[in-house]
Amino acid sequence: MNEAFALLEAEIDPIDIEILRHEILSIPNQIERNIERSAFSPLVQEYKDYSVGLVDPEGALIAQSRGSLPIFVANALGTGVREAISVHGADNLMHGDAIVTNSAATLGQHLNNVALLTPVREGGSDNGPLLGFFAVLVHWIDVGGSAPGSSTGTDTTDVWQEGLQLPCVRLLSGGRRVEDIFRLCATNSRFPKLLLGDLEAQLAGCLLGRDMVLQIAHRRSVALLRATFESMRRQARAAASAVIADIPEGEYSAESFLDGDGGGAIPIRVAVRSTAGRLIVDLEGLGPQMTGPSNAGRNGGAIAAARIAAKYILTPQEPVNQGDFDLLDVEAPDGTFLTARPDAPIGGSGNTIPTVVDTILRAIGDALPAHAVAAHHGTYGVHTIFGRLPETGELFTNLDTVTGGWGATAQDDGAFPLRSNAHGDVPDIPVEMQEALYPFRLIKKALRPDSGGPGRRRGGLGVEKEYRILFPCKVSLKFERGQCPPWGMAGGGAGATCFVEIMRASGTTVRTWKGIYALEAGDRLRVVSGGGGGYGPPHEREIERVLRDVEAGYVGRERATEDYGVVFKPDGTLHEAATQARRAIICRK
Amino acid sequence: MPHFIAADTGGTFTDVAVYDSSKRLLTFAKSLTTYGDLVDGVVAGIEEARGDLKSTAALKHGTTHVINAFLQRKGARAALVCTRGFRDVIEIARGNRPVPFDIAERRDPPLVPRALRFEVTERLGADGSVVEALDEAEVISLASTLKAAGVTATAVSFLNAYTNPAHEDRTVEILRKCLPDVFITSGTALTREWFEYERSATAAANAYVGPAIAAYTAGFTKRFREKGFAGTLAMMGSNGGLMPFEAAVDRPVALVESGPIGGVIAAAEYSRALGLDKVIAFDMGGTTAKCALVESGSFAVQPTYWVGGYVRGFPIRSPVLDIVEVGAGGGSIAWIDPQMRLRVGPRSAGSEPGPACFGRDGTEPTVTDANLRLGRIGGGSFLGGRLSLNTQAANAAIRDRIAAPLGYGSDDAATTRVAHGILDLANTLMASAVKEITVARGHDVREFTLLVFGGGGPIFGAELARSLGIRRVVVPPEPGNFSALGMLMANARTDVAQSLLADLSEHGIETLSSVRDKLRIEVVTAAEREFLNKSPSLQWQADMRYRGQRHAIPVKFGGDPDADVLVRAFETAYAKRFGRTLGEDFTPEVVGLRVAAESVGERPDLLALAPSPDTSRSPAPINHRPLHLRPGGWVEAAVWKREMLPAGFVITGPAIVEEYGSTTLIGPGDVATVGRLGEMSIAVSSERAE
Repeated sequence: MNEAFALLEAEIDPIDIEILRHEILSIPNQIERNIERSAFSPLVQEYKDYSVGLVDPEGALIAQSRGSLPIFVANALGTGVREAISVHGADNLMHGDAIVTNSAATLGQHLNNVALLTPVREGGSDNGPLLGFFAVLVHWIDVGGSAPGSSTGTDTTDVWQEGLQLPCVRLLSGGRRVEDIFRLCATNSRFPKLLLGDLEAQLAGCLLGRDMVLQIAHRRSVALLRATFESMRRQARAAASAVIADIPEGEYSAESFLDGDGGGAIPIRVAVRSTAGRLIVDLEGLGPQMTGPSNAGRNGGAIAAARIAAKYILTPQEPVNQGDFDLLDVEAPDGTFLTARPDAPIGGSGNTIPTVVDTILRAIGDALPAHAVAAHHGTYGVHTIFGRLPETGELFTNLDTVTGGWGATAQDDGAFPLRSNAHGDVPDIPVEMQEALYPFRLIKKALRPDSGGPGRRRGGLGVEKEYRILFPCKVSLKFERGQCPPWGMAGGGAGATCFVEIMRASGTTVRTWKGIYALEAGDRLRVVSGGGGGYGPPHEREIERVLRDVEAGYVGRERATEDYGVVFKPDGTLHEAATQARRAIICRK
Repeated sequence: MPHFIAADTGGTFTDVAVYDSSKRLLTFAKSLTTYGDLVDGVVAGIEEARGDLKSTAALKHGTTHVINAFLQRKGARAALVCTRGFRDVIEIARGNRPVPFDIAERRDPPLVPRALRFEVTERLGADGSVVEALDEAEVISLASTLKAAGVTATAVSFLNAYTNPAHEDRTVEILRKCLPDVFITSGTALTREWFEYERSATAAANAYVGPAIAAYTAGFTKRFREKGFAGTLAMMGSNGGLMPFEAAVDRPVALVESGPIGGVIAAAEYSRALGLDKVIAFDMGGTTAKCALVESGSFAVQPTYWVGGYVRGFPIRSPVLDIVEVGAGGGSIAWIDPQMRLRVGPRSAGSEPGPACFGRDGTEPTVTDANLRLGRIGGGSFLGGRLSLNTQAANAAIRDRIAAPLGYGSDDAATTRVAHGILDLANTLMASAVKEITVARGHDVREFTLLVFGGGGPIFGAELARSLGIRRVVVPPEPGNFSALGMLMANARTDVAQSLLADLSEHGIETLSSVRDKLRIEVVTAAEREFLNKSPSLQWQADMRYRGQRHAIPVKFGGDPDADVLVRAFETAYAKRFGRTLGEDFTPEVVGLRVAAESVGERPDLLALAPSPDTSRSPAPINHRPLHLRPGGWVEAAVWKREMLPAGFVITGPAIVEEYGSTTLIGPGDVATVGRLGEMSIAVSSERAE
């Protein structure tokens, strides 16, 4: 029976539900805009490293803002709510309370990710029934620890080196500001002004969101609001279920690996099982917890990765809701790099996620060929240039991440440079803004030819950036996926891997992926992102498409001949006969 | 004596308004837009409105030409010239993924393909200093490459040129000399704000539409000169100001939202005349609903506009009216999604086949069908009776496509329930657009008056207001012709802006003063050249933020950069938007200066628009018809003719007021009063319990 009939049978009008659904979904989006406009740090305003949502009284996600990073669908908001309930008890969370948390043991993501949540109680009164929580998570610019920016440290060995933890403490109590906590946060941050600016935006947005939910509850009815929450979850579950039903029962597995943190490659072995209408993502084959900071806790790691992958496949066009994941089970033992122990360093908690998501998608791709996608460049590629400004001696830090090629599908070439699959609406920082603020200059920012994996559908291209350093500073690098190329699917080839090169003024060049390096005036820094994998055999690519790629310079002539079997005459035009012959040979092989 | 004409070429209709200033008479006409030669539609409209071209002083023209060229990818073969190392800026874009989980989502390809993007040797520092000189020999040899490539337009956009346009200017000069037949434009001629992607995309877009607009305006001019028209010709710019044809040829990208602006200009005029401080201008047409804020009689323009939308489109840096649009109009189709949810829009039945009730083979129910089903619009009075509507077809579409499949059944109760559902859903979508332009920008929506126009605005106004907590709705005269009317009222306007970084120290104020002086000379010279006005009125705005923030907010000031004045204005604007200021720990700074020069021309008096009904007898309803209310069911509602209502007349809802091109619904408990300008002001009752 469909949802509409079920509702009618329960004497609930499905159109009323649908209207309320729209109203509820629009709240986090409006709050998101509001916060984006009023926040301070570039991480919020430009990087959009935050998430806004409404969570039910049990911690299940009802609605989340569209610009939220995928990494947060994994339930960061719901996890924060569940932690707050277990610490304080739901009955002790009153109207006007606001709780902040970044507990490593529960959220399992780097400590900069701080969730702020406030109960939504009917009528805005202390004894009103709990309708849910409004929650806003923001990446705080700095929470102390051993490195400026906190999560940027590359050599931390436990979580206490990475900053301050705020284990569900009250920032507001009954509507009153607990100034002690504001002061504590400011004192423990290298950038207290920016932090407080962001925190004020985060808090105001959270309270406004709560009030908007209360207005709806007042205008419609609490019963209808609750019925809508339930219906939204059922709808999401039903839509996910319909896709899972297309997966033939069985086990599908895939493998890849991470560069690791110096101790050798870290294996990623993933199995995806479809049984009795449920989807099981088995992560038992993940490598062990690392000594360095590329770990994450269970919620921010294993569950996050599985949910992101599931959302890509199951119902990508629908807003995120707990029901998306009601039929998803995640199996993983404690002590892997995505189920790290509470004391583990987790400054780079997101770094491994894109590759794990890629690998899960690879496994599902075998099960559902229509949804198969080749691998993407697969890394955040954090490169933070920091130091002191020449004129004022003031500290600066410019956190940047790469954009790279995405994988091809059976239908389309891979997308051109985009962030990783764990990022969302995160725009690149304009070169002109960087040059106006920081003591370096970019001398190149260009597509990287031949970096897209060859295939009937070609992988997307990576990007090459080159900086000239004008004043002594440092760069902190956290790249992954330097060794495991973005693979192709269905006979497509792999995309090129990423790397960073430091070209000293003295003439030496270091190729690297991780670490902190001092840079001198005259040094150059090359940041080169990977391409996406191709889909299908390259020699099946239409010749016109290959020629167009060559004309645009996406693919060089050599690779066109080598990979795609397209041969050129000395004057550069297509040699049709030689091309047919070459393609026939490749085909027979 | 002189006539003034406004002609607005839209997707379906070309709207014309003619003002005879000696008789203080306004005439409107609608003709079908002619896609072969767009000028034919304009000429036909003017003839219908009996515009006398020989005695016309000014013709103001709005067109969807530019936006259509972008959306349909029907522009020039254009090239882009870039700084060495940066030719991929417009293709790399910003790398963001607005739709977080959809692997199939792609941006539209850039307007200039990679093979037509060229690099030259030159480099400027972020402070405008020359790091590497422009290699002029390279530019000269590039000219022959461009010629060989057969391009008809070329854009030049260099890194950091916003601080120093010299290299761009010189490159343009050389290319113009070498390629006299090619349309050449540069990024900094269009915007001097930072962000290389946005500025390069703007330059590329300008080149892309340049040749077509040059040809269009030349053809337009020739046609009207032949008809004896000797007045000035101006295009409607997206910033709400008129541009002479010559300026439009240089900056066609400034015409991108030439269409919707007219209605908002008129809304601003009425807001001023009625003394309304905070107004939401709400325009509902056949395909979309749009809203914009009018505060203290003026509307906001935004510095960046996304052509084709934020998800797939590209940005242009050109001041465009700050407007939010949703796909909910009279023609919007109601449908059931795969999850069995009722949806409305964004697909529209347009005018062909049109809503089911048009009886032109449309079988899908639309918002208009739902309005008809519930008696909110009359079957015989649509467009003054020119198009009679088929109630049965509307009912059948609602029943067969929605009510039955969703499980509501097929009886009358089911179709009325679903018809309300369609309208409520459309209302919800429109309300979310209004919230986006208010709540998301830090405004309290309840403080605003809703001014409604367009074919569909007046019928939804009161309900929309009720759902938003707004207490007053104003329906201006001629809501169906509001866009052309607004265009008639538009002033000439030139905008100039410059990015800079200055704090409010003595040194910073000096910097501001020198940039201010430069901009003033520039904008006054432009106003004199374009509009023969030596002393235009100048509106100054500083883009300000607290040091450390990325986004700046617009702060109006008198034009004299004084630290105290700027800080006070900034704090007021900041507190207004965010409800608080951040105290003395935070330092305000200026990141941009903008100035708009306006030249006011002769324009119609709003009083001329007020209907002058026969006041010798009290007006009476022209009839009664069944109107379905929820809650309440069927009632017999009085139907009034708007032109019969004198100033001061009061109607208590439920009631319907009809006029050509629009219908106003006055809900139960709502009270409408006719004002002295002919406007209807509806006091909206607080929300009904459901």
